[in-house]
Amino acid sequence: MSLLADVLTVLLNGLQQGAIFALLAVGLSIILGTLKFVNFAHGALYVVGTYTGLLVAHEIALTSGKLQSWGFTSLGLDLGFFAALVVVPLFVFVVGLGMERFVARPFYDRPDTDQILVTFGLAIVVQELFRILFGSNSLPFDQPAWAAGPIALPVVGNFSQWRLYVIAITAVLVLVVYALVEYTDFGLVVRAGTRDAEMVRLLGIKITRPYIVVFGIGAALAGVAGVVGGPLNVVNPTVGTDILVPAFLTVVIGGVGSIVGAVIGGVIFGLTTATLVAVAPAWSQIGLYAIAAVILLTRPQGILGNEEVAP
Amino acid sequence: MSLLELDAVDAYYGESHILRDLSMTVEDGEICALLGRNGAGKTTTLRSISGATPPQVRDGTVRFKDEDITGVPAEDVSARGISLVPEERRVFPNLTVAENLHLAEVVGNKSNTWGRSLTFEHKGATTEQVYEDFPRLRERKDQKAGTLSGGEQQMLAIARALKQNTDLMLLDEPYEGLAPKIIEDVEAAVHRLNEEGTTVLLVEQNAAAAIKIADRAYVVDQGSIVFDGTAEELREDEETRERYLGV
Ligand SMILES: Nc1ncnc2c1ncn2[C@@H]1O[C@H](COP(=O)(O)OP(=O)(O)OP(=O)(O)O)[C@@H](O)[C@H]1O
Ligand SMILES: [Mg+2]
Repeated sequence: MSLLADVLTVLLNGLQQGAIFALLAVGLSIILGTLKFVNFAHGALYVVGTYTGLLVAHEIALTSGKLQSWGFTSLGLDLGFFAALVVVPLFVFVVGLGMERFVARPFYDRPDTDQILVTFGLAIVVQELFRILFGSNSLPFDQPAWAAGPIALPVVGNFSQWRLYVIAITAVLVLVVYALVEYTDFGLVVRAGTRDAEMVRLLGIKITRPYIVVFGIGAALAGVAGVVGGPLNVVNPTVGTDILVPAFLTVVIGGVGSIVGAVIGGVIFGLTTATLVAVAPAWSQIGLYAIAAVILLTRPQGILGNEEVAP
Repeated sequence: MSLLELDAVDAYYGESHILRDLSMTVEDGEICALLGRNGAGKTTTLRSISGATPPQVRDGTVRFKDEDITGVPAEDVSARGISLVPEERRVFPNLTVAENLHLAEVVGNKSNTWGRSLTFEHKGATTEQVYEDFPRLRERKDQKAGTLSGGEQQMLAIARALKQNTDLMLLDEPYEGLAPKIIEDVEAAVHRLNEEGTTVLLVEQNAAAAIKIADRAYVVDQGSIVFDGTAEELREDEETRERYLGV
């Protein structure tokens, strides 16, 4: 393999990892920028997305956990991946609506620390719930048959098809959300509310409606991240906590409230991780924090940060 | 029946008691001025009417079209036909001029009105009309509101309110920071609005300017009404003017 091919492979790997970070960060960022709500349970939505996706797409054999001891040896609808890609966002959207109404809304006027405590608590409850039901064992999440295995790309050579799909699916979803925020009346109210929610209400707009939808959209994106990210990893209850810190860092370096910022932040993290995994694997975790530190020291508000939901 | 009636309203910011037993009425179709010096409680009165919090209205009632609206959330007060132009302009700096104006129409979208009752009687002005009132805004329509001058932002805030469907317009110091020529434009727009049937409650520091266009005036001091009469009566009552308005 040529050097160019190696570099391009790292680039594509970086983009794919960046895509997962971006899916998580876009939702987290618009929730933080619009509702000023710090959601440490965002990772739990990823977990819900992964498990739901797994159970919709495949039928899995259970080897531990309460479900198995109740007599389920296998579980799942085996409807295939397309079904999972449709069902999961809708399902996690609804979960997000419930979370906004019953967890977030009572805490909007409370300090950040209270929001962190309640959402972190919720994240642990969700994690333990899945552990009880499915056991601590990692479950395999097979790639969809139509995207399994490598594809021969010009110059790059063989590259995982599924990773390319992850990049493409992410790009489409992020564009859809961007267009919603930028070009619709819904987005207009959201952008206005980010700056001055009281004035929006004084105009007669019931701002709780767009707000709950923002939460739902953010949740749905995290759910999708769980589905598309699932087959790149194993599925276990702690994946949510593992991705929480990188997701928050992505938001912070991209700039709170900025969709494009979250994407840029995701790509920077993805490329950093992929590069370090290729050249100095032992440093890949530390590299993430080092990059974040450098960016925040030079631009404390993040790359595109100005506390509003914006292009 | 008066269009708006405040009956013995007590309003608080935390524990500080600001409006004390304040009572006043605004009659359908008039321009009513609410005057008073800095910190007298004018803005607090308008916020209490429009359902903005803080302040908390702990006692007394606010009635609009003979319905009790005390404690009704701001968005629902607005949907009943009261709109407020707050004193600090409050345009959305991150939106363009056109988007700021468009927000007044978004209020009518199904997603916002669904399941709510909107009971205003007067339709707001069209975008075209407000651009005619303030040609400067048309020139700047694609510019972010945050880049406008203070006076232009004030025009935009007023133009946005003119576009709202409103039966009672609350204006908090609309002339603040405006050049005399623009003050005339604002006066003309308020007059036209009023002639089309919208009632106006105008708060001003500048008593002379307010008396000029008002039918009636109240003077508030330390959270209570200390004068109530026609604009003519206030013009002649030198003692009240000197004592409470410093003019
Ligand atoms: N958010 C607040 N918290 C505490 N006290 C407040 C708050 N807003 C206003 N006050 C106090 O309430 C009193 C009345 O204020 P208000 O803003 O109603 O006065 P005003 O008549 O509008 O004055 P101005 O002409 O300066 O705008 C003042 O003493 C002010 O300090
Ligand atoms: Mg005031």
